[in-house]
Amino acid sequence: MVPGCNVDSPGVVELLCPPVASDREQFCEVAVGTCGYSYTEWVDNGFYPGGTRTSDMLGLYSRDFSVVELNYTWYQMARADALARMIENAPSHLFFAAKLTRTMTHDPVPDWREQLATYRKGIAPLENRLVAILIQLPPDFERSVANRNYLAGLLGGLEGLPLAVEFRHVSWAVDSVFLELERRQVSLVAVDEPELPGLFPFLDVVTNPDLFYVRLHGRNRTGWRSGNMQKKFNYDYLDEELEAMRDQHLLQMAMATRRGVIFFNNHVRARAPENAKRLVKILGRQGLVNGAFHG
Amino acid sequence: MVPSMASGFVLRERAVLHFNVADFAVAVECINDSSLKGRPLIVAPMQASRGLVFDMSEEAYSDGVRKGMPIKQAMRRCTKAVLLSPRPQLYQKAMAAFLKELQGYSPLIESGQTDGHFFVDVTGTHRLYGPPPDVGWRVRRDVRKQLGINPIWTLGSNRLVSKVASRLVKPVGEYIVTPGEEASFLAPLPIDILPGLNHKELEKMREFRLTTIGALARLSPEQLMVPFGRRCDALYAISHGVDDTLIKKPSMETDVIEAEHTFANDTSDRKEVEAVLASLVGRVGMQLREQKKVTRRVGIWLRYSDGVVIARQATHKAGTSSEFLLQDLALLALKRGWQRRTRIRYCRLVCDRQLRESSQLSLFAVAGNKKTEPKKIEGAMDRIRQRYGSDSIGVGRKY
Repeated sequence: MVPGCNVDSPGVVELLCPPVASDREQFCEVAVGTCGYSYTEWVDNGFYPGGTRTSDMLGLYSRDFSVVELNYTWYQMARADALARMIENAPSHLFFAAKLTRTMTHDPVPDWREQLATYRKGIAPLENRLVAILIQLPPDFERSVANRNYLAGLLGGLEGLPLAVEFRHVSWAVDSVFLELERRQVSLVAVDEPELPGLFPFLDVVTNPDLFYVRLHGRNRTGWRSGNMQKKFNYDYLDEELEAMRDQHLLQMAMATRRGVIFFNNHVRARAPENAKRLVKILGRQGLVNGAFHG
Repeated sequence: MVPSMASGFVLRERAVLHFNVADFAVAVECINDSSLKGRPLIVAPMQASRGLVFDMSEEAYSDGVRKGMPIKQAMRRCTKAVLLSPRPQLYQKAMAAFLKELQGYSPLIESGQTDGHFFVDVTGTHRLYGPPPDVGWRVRRDVRKQLGINPIWTLGSNRLVSKVASRLVKPVGEYIVTPGEEASFLAPLPIDILPGLNHKELEKMREFRLTTIGALARLSPEQLMVPFGRRCDALYAISHGVDDTLIKKPSMETDVIEAEHTFANDTSDRKEVEAVLASLVGRVGMQLREQKKVTRRVGIWLRYSDGVVIARQATHKAGTSSEFLLQDLALLALKRGWQRRTRIRYCRLVCDRQLRESSQLSLFAVAGNKKTEPKKIEGAMDRIRQRYGSDSIGVGRKY
């Protein structure tokens, strides 16, 4: 068994943080998972047993993890009936992050306000199993007045729901943005991606004491702008890289929050679940047993 | 279906993407002339005395214009509509450009001639191009950028499911049906959205109050056998979202060769109909011979002036591409189909159940030139047609 990891909540580590106000020890529950779980390639690469059908994947996924980021809600509007069926069949320890639909981020449509309302209804079945809604903004979404207003509109429209914002453009890496996110209690997503000009850097700034949110996309420099997903997200993190991330960023983020989620997006060749399991072990060396994720 | 077999052979869940451009002809015309965007548009053959609406824009549709409606009636319903003649070659060109985009993702693509529909089997391409939903999204993004067309896309584990899904998202959008969710996806939908049901079956289902696909799916094949006979298994399968139809490879050759004719004035003149039929036989026969194929079934579709459509066929066990034999088969089918005294407005000749022409020679010598002579004549006729057009020469009846 992984040290610091609980059987009831696989993929979760409780990190011990120094006491802040009271004398009692503080813990930060960190759940590790992947961006999406439904990849046929993961059957080919052995994460899922041979012959696994899509409908069985979530159950098998949850043997190793307690949180998953739903990415199909980016491709199409979240539908309450489909999510309700999914929740019904999902193990009770599994929590979800849901991506905001592309019609509000990458391909914005004129009626985005109506889309927001539809989205809210669509994800309603997730209820208290929802860790956060991920608003992933495209690389060309610069910090302009129009875009700031637009983002404020999105955050306003989703008020009351746990939110995380992922910027891909470097222009958003300024204190005023972090302060505003802090004021709204919205998590700033820490992104690990190749060091390329114009990309948002990995920042361990915590803007929401309830949740830190990390996405690891891999560091494939040559494939990043190839336009081919299989090249872009083809990366295998080394132990040293994950350890460095833990020591330089993750432990520090855990100290400022009650909970955290870390998602691997390097899904090619099933590296994401393998790396995620490895990170759980690496974090476990710092953590305590009896971790249980409470979403 | 069993996902894995003892021999180690693994059956994959299939992934079929369906792309559909709503009002394809109108979409292409609008790309060609951007001033047409947002205006009510009707595409119909203007030179024909009885032109029918071929396609119309959303604006014209909302005014009550429908495909197949006579132009006069359509123009009465939508007086401000811009009327354009169909340009099949332009639409085919747009289809080819779309197809080229798709060929970057899969070798298995099926499409119509000019209808803006594409089925793409992306099973097993995930290692090259990523998960199927991403392929759908990328194709739409690229097609919008390159061609200015905004297709809908849907994803299902088979052709049937992706097609039904596309009927739900018209005119724009996308729909992903997760494998394993087929039956629950179909269950609440109205029965008439299900492809492959004929008029009589739908009527019978209405009589039995089977208004949703789920209601049909609740019946066992045995129960379905009582009203639907041999169709029970097929109906049971489609109501559960099961469809094993393969996506055919892209090819210039189609499995159906057809030709059609609309009479300028409705007719009951047998000689006139037979002459038209001879011309249609000439056209399809030449295509068959060019593709080195033989047909085992010749079908005739007749539409009478009161709108009734009759289809009848004649079969040839071994298959043929001979103009003389095709002629006989077509006349036999016509005889079977033309049983009413009402005048005929339209006829279509369809050759399907095709096989590759066998190059196997006969074991025994055929006396005289019985076998080679007609072939020589057909070859000569085809050469003349290629040079001077398909109606430049024909067999007796035509003239």
